[in-house]
Amino acid sequence: MIVIGILITLSGFVISVLSLALQSNAARLGVVLLGLAVSLFGIIGVLNRAYLKNAIWKKG
Amino acid sequence: MKRRLSLCVAVLCFAPLGFAQTPATTPAAPAAAAPTPKPITDADVAAAPVPSADARAKGDPDGALTGTASDIAVSDAKKGVTISDLVNQVGQDKIAINFVWTLITGFLVMFMQAGFAIVETGLCRAKNANHTMMMNFMVYGVGMLAYWLIGFAIQMGGVGAVANLGGTPPLNAEHVITLFGKPFGIFGQNGVFLVHRGTYDVAVMVLFLFQMVFMDTALTIVTGAAAERWKYAAFIVSSFLMGAFTYPLFANWAWGGGWLANLGANFNLGKGYCDFAGSGVVHAVGGMTALAVSMIIGPRIGKYERSGKSNAILAHDIVIVLTGCFILAFGWFGFNPGSTLGASSNGSLRIGSIAVNTMLAGMAGSFGAMLYMWLRYHKPDASMSGNGLLAGLVAITAPSGFVNPVGAVIIGVIAGILVCISVEFVDRVMHVDDPVGAISVHGTNGLWGVLSIGLFADGKSNYGGSWNGVTGSVTGLFYGDNGGQLIAQLIGIVTLVGFVFTLSFVFNLLIDWLVGQRVGAKSELEGLDLPEMGALGYPEFELKAEM
Repeated sequence: MIVIGILITLSGFVISVLSLALQSNAARLGVVLLGLAVSLFGIIGVLNRAYLKNAIWKKG
Repeated sequence: MKRRLSLCVAVLCFAPLGFAQTPATTPAAPAAAAPTPKPITDADVAAAPVPSADARAKGDPDGALTGTASDIAVSDAKKGVTISDLVNQVGQDKIAINFVWTLITGFLVMFMQAGFAIVETGLCRAKNANHTMMMNFMVYGVGMLAYWLIGFAIQMGGVGAVANLGGTPPLNAEHVITLFGKPFGIFGQNGVFLVHRGTYDVAVMVLFLFQMVFMDTALTIVTGAAAERWKYAAFIVSSFLMGAFTYPLFANWAWGGGWLANLGANFNLGKGYCDFAGSGVVHAVGGMTALAVSMIIGPRIGKYERSGKSNAILAHDIVIVLTGCFILAFGWFGFNPGSTLGASSNGSLRIGSIAVNTMLAGMAGSFGAMLYMWLRYHKPDASMSGNGLLAGLVAITAPSGFVNPVGAVIIGVIAGILVCISVEFVDRVMHVDDPVGAISVHGTNGLWGVLSIGLFADGKSNYGGSWNGVTGSVTGLFYGDNGGQLIAQLIGIVTLVGFVFTLSFVFNLLIDWLVGQRVGAKSELEGLDLPEMGALGYPEFELKAEM
């Protein structure tokens, strides 16, 4: 899960760089925001959740 | 009657003759032609009066005799002062002013280390005071070592000419790749050990000092988020990697001639990624790394109940926390205005505006946080008010050179409110423990500062007629930009969130797998001072082990 989370987070960055291949600013904006959402999902939705599963405060 | 009438007629008839007899004015002689300017010669310059030796020997109480033509550096003693000497002196004075400015402001930023140290120590428990202070103390040395060895070369090795410092010509080797048909600067290559390939250079030394203290600010942010449970040895390795690679890489992209700064020149996105003094480069890099380390290391014992409810772990000395905030605010007068890298030419006289923007945003941030906490929890919380001040300062760091005072206040107020909301989110939703709020102060508000340029830059600044190689002034959406600047800032933000966080996470995951990042439970409960440092920070206090 951690490796998947790392890859998802990094792919958000890659998506935003790929926006530079587009010509219109509106399209670039959309793709960059998509990349930001993907990276945030990777951090909050995947990586953080993976750590919370085994959190110290959940143990006996 | 007839006689009088005749007399009147005669007067009336002959009066005009009187006027007619007024001799006509002689036409003015043509103005003498202006004398042709005589060019100044070396002889004129050499003959400039200087105080006599006798006059100087009597002392100079009012300063009228000190600083004269006799102080001009002479290249040929036989010829005396020449025009060439004068011109060279002017050029050297301009660079000297800029050197002194950059160095003095760099010294102020260095002093911020003391501010961070006591803010973090005060926000932690007394049983960890020695450990927390030692992390903040040694991060200065660890970071500087890493930066001297390789970090500066990666960041600035290809920055090219820094005009305000006289050109820095040895910093001319940037590793570039091609993407989408455009050059993407990735990292610099000159400057290892500060002697490599001609970088033993007066201007490079000034640049190194100034950039180094910024780098150390980023590193010290992480120590706050991971305090009270971070192994000291793991902290040293983690900080070294951050100073050698993580920070310099992003800093190259933003400030060292790299691809982010060139988004304007290459892809017509405003003036490229702009970050005047480092909301992104320094604070968000620190905040993202702090988030990565805090997630890996886990929360302090007793921070969360099994239900997930968060327990407040109180600061042990709010007095030094708020004193530390003042030290940081003072140091920030070096952080932001110093980023002009000069006080002479190329728009450097904006240093006053930048300093005022910095002050106003910090003030607004403290008000925003204090009022939010007062309304929500019915008390003006001291530690959050301090964090609000810092959040405002962090947020204004990037836009300080590009916005007006009204923009600065708006940015600061939003930062103050945002830091409170972010602290709650990180703590109660993400369940990531951050004893000092570093993730929210520096990470969240670092990103806000980066974004705010794309909105509030007013297009009135002028730093030599261009920025990042694009003619014109940095302008945001609210001042007529077409959105390109905002997109460039957003790309910077995704780079921080998606790349910098990932790189920091991977480095620290490796450290955790190899040596372990977190101390044992017994050490944590006892307090890290004795097990990790061998001495208590407050040996005369009666400290208690607590959950």
